[in-house]
Amino acid sequence: MKKNRNVGIIGVGQSVYSSHREEVNQPEMINEAVVEALESAGVTIDDVECIVHGNMELFEMIHQPDLWHVLGTGAYGKETLRVTTGGTTGATLVAAADHLVASGLHDVVLAIGFEKLQEGHTTGGITNMADPLWGRQLQTGALTGMTAAQMIDEFGEERAKKVAMKYRIQMDQHAMKNNKAHRRLGLSPDQAEELAENSPQLVGELRMIHMCSQSDGACAMVFASEEKAKALCDQPAWIKDHITAHREEMFCIFGDAPVLSTHRYAARKLFGRCGITNPREEIDLFEMYDPSSWWGSDWLREFLLLEGDAHLKMIENDEIAIDGAFPVNPSGGVIASNPIGATAMVRVAEAALQVMGRAGDHQVPKTVNQALASGFGGTMWTVLFLLTREVPS
Amino acid sequence: MDSGREDCFVVEGKLALPYQYFAGQTGSRFLTALEKEKKIQGVRCPSCDKVYVPPRSTCERCFKPIADNWVELKSTGTVTGFTVIRYAEPHQPFPPPYIQALIKLDEADTPLVHVVRGVGPSEMKTGLRVKAEFARKPTSTIMDIACFRPVRKATAAMGYTYDELEVGMSASFTKTITETDVYLFAGISGDFNPMHVDEVFAKQTPFGTRIAHGALPQCLIAPVLGMKLPGLGTVALEINTRFRAPTYFGDTITATAEVTEKLEEKRWVRMVLTWTNQDEKLVAEGTALVLPPVPMD
Repeated sequence: MKKNRNVGIIGVGQSVYSSHREEVNQPEMINEAVVEALESAGVTIDDVECIVHGNMELFEMIHQPDLWHVLGTGAYGKETLRVTTGGTTGATLVAAADHLVASGLHDVVLAIGFEKLQEGHTTGGITNMADPLWGRQLQTGALTGMTAAQMIDEFGEERAKKVAMKYRIQMDQHAMKNNKAHRRLGLSPDQAEELAENSPQLVGELRMIHMCSQSDGACAMVFASEEKAKALCDQPAWIKDHITAHREEMFCIFGDAPVLSTHRYAARKLFGRCGITNPREEIDLFEMYDPSSWWGSDWLREFLLLEGDAHLKMIENDEIAIDGAFPVNPSGGVIASNPIGATAMVRVAEAALQVMGRAGDHQVPKTVNQALASGFGGTMWTVLFLLTREVPS
Repeated sequence: MDSGREDCFVVEGKLALPYQYFAGQTGSRFLTALEKEKKIQGVRCPSCDKVYVPPRSTCERCFKPIADNWVELKSTGTVTGFTVIRYAEPHQPFPPPYIQALIKLDEADTPLVHVVRGVGPSEMKTGLRVKAEFARKPTSTIMDIACFRPVRKATAAMGYTYDELEVGMSASFTKTITETDVYLFAGISGDFNPMHVDEVFAKQTPFGTRIAHGALPQCLIAPVLGMKLPGLGTVALEINTRFRAPTYFGDTITATAEVTEKLEEKRWVRMVLTWTNQDEKLVAEGTALVLPPVPMD
C-alpha cells in the first residue's frame, strides 16, 4: 500500500463491556469511550477534526444512529462519516480513519465503534436480511457448527475437542486480566472435560461455552498524522498496512473444500507486500476476531499461513498464552466481549495498546514491535491490520 | 434491450426486528419525575446555560457532562413546529388525524416532541400556547404526559357550524358541586333518595357519605356542547354516559367534549365526553351526537 504519510494511533478508550448497560443510553455509553480515548491521547474534542462512527446496521433498529449520538460523540460542527460493514465495521472504521489521516484530509481523527446488543435482536438482524432467492444467500445467523465438524473430521474428535476447549479456557484466563471484559468466568484447565461434556450444544460440537457473548459497549480511537502523533504521544502504535478481502458466495459454489479462505488470502497478500516471510516469528502478537473457540483455533492456521496441525500444536504448547511465544488475544478476545460494531475495532485497539505498552494488567511481558489484528464479518469478510512500534519507512 | 416483464417474479419480504431502548440514568430520572411527581424536569448546561428538555447527560455544544444540573420546568410552552398525521398505520399511538408537535416549554431551550390534542388541524399553528396534560394511568414512558392541549382564553363564542368543526377540537367547563347544588337538583328532579340528602343513612352506603346525583355532574356537559363546542345553536341528539366514580360535595368537576367524527350525510357530529374531578380522576365518560348550528342565510 502506498501511503501519502504515516498515521499513528495515539489514544484508545473503551467503555466497560457487559450484557447489561441499562444505566446508560447509546450516546452516554459512547461518551464513556470517547472521553477515555481523548484523555488517553492527551487531546480535547476541539483538537479532533473528523469523527468516524459505525455499528452493525439493524441490530438496535435505530436509523442513522450517528445523528442521535452526536450528544456523546462530540461531532457537533465537525466532519463526520458513518461506516457500516457488518461484523467488520470496527476494523473498517479504523481503515477509514487511517485513509482520512494518511490522505492529508485531516490531521486528527476520532473513530467510534459501538453496539448495544441487549437492545436489539442479533440473530433476527442477521437472518431477516437473507432470503433463499438467487443473489441473496441464506444466512442462518452467527452460530456456525461447520468448523467444529471439519476440525473433528481432520484431527479426530478427541484432539479437536481438547484444542477448542483449551483455547477457550486460555481466552478466559486472559479475560480475567482485563477488567473491561464482559465474560470473566474464572475457568481453570481442570474444568475442560466437564465443560466439553455438559455445556449446552448450540450446533453439533459448537457449545455455549465455545461461543462469543452478546455485549453492550463502545470503543473509540484517536488517529494522528506522523507529525502530530510524534508531538502528542511518546509511543504511538503506527499503522503499517491493512487489507480487506471478502466473498459472499456460498463456500461450496464450485464443489466442496479446499476453499481459499479470505483470512489466508488477506494474510498472504498483506505479508507479501510488507516483506513478512515467517509471520509466526516476525509478528509478536495477534489480536484475532475469534467468534468461537473453534473458529479461533482453526483460523490461527489461516492467518499465520500454517499447514497441517501446526496451529493445534501452538495451542497445545501454550504458545498463544499471554506469556507464550506468540500471544493471541491477551484481552480475552471476542469470546469474552462482543459489542459487534466495536468488536473488530477493539482488536486493533488492543493490539495498539500492546504496541504502546499501555495494556495494563494484560500487557504481554515483552516488547511488541509488530502486531497483527483481524476483523471478521459477513459470510466471509476479513480485515487485517499490521501495527508497528517503529515508524514505518 | 428486452424490457418484457411478464415472466419476472417479485418475492415478498418482511422484516421483523424486535428491540428495546434504554433510557439510561438521566432519561430514567426524567420519566420517574413525570410518573411520580407529574413534573417535567430538564438539565441546564453550566457552561452555555442552555436548558435541555428532555434531559441529556452531555451538552453537545460544550461537550461537558451536565447530568447533575437539574431544573424543574412549568408545564406550559409554545409550539415551534408541527405535522398533522392523516393516515392510519399500525405503529402510530393514535387513530388519525392527530397532531405531533415540537413544544418548547417555557424556560427550556430545546423543544420536546409530543402530541397536541384539543385543536383542529386548521386551527393548529406554530406559536400556539399549550399546556401538558398528565396521564391518569402511568406507563413509565413519555406518554405519562398524555398530550399537550391549547391554553384557551374564555370566549363567548358563536357556535361552530358543521363545516367549521374539525376532528380533534375540544372544549370544557368546570364547576364545583356544592351541597346547595345537590339539594336544588333533588328539588328539580324529585329525587330525594336519602343517599343524596340524609347523611346518617348515607354513612351506611359504600360511599360513606352523601354523594351528588350522577346526573348532576353529567349535565355540566350541556354548557360545553350548547355554549362552547359546537356552541350556541347546537341541538343535542343523543348523550351516552357511563359513570366511573362518585362526585362528593365540594368536588370540582371538569366536563370535556372532543370532536371525533363528522357524519357527512346527516351533517351531525360525534363527540367523546369525559368528566374528571380535581384529582384528575375519571368520574364519567361517554359520547354525544349533536347537530351543530346551521348558518342562517
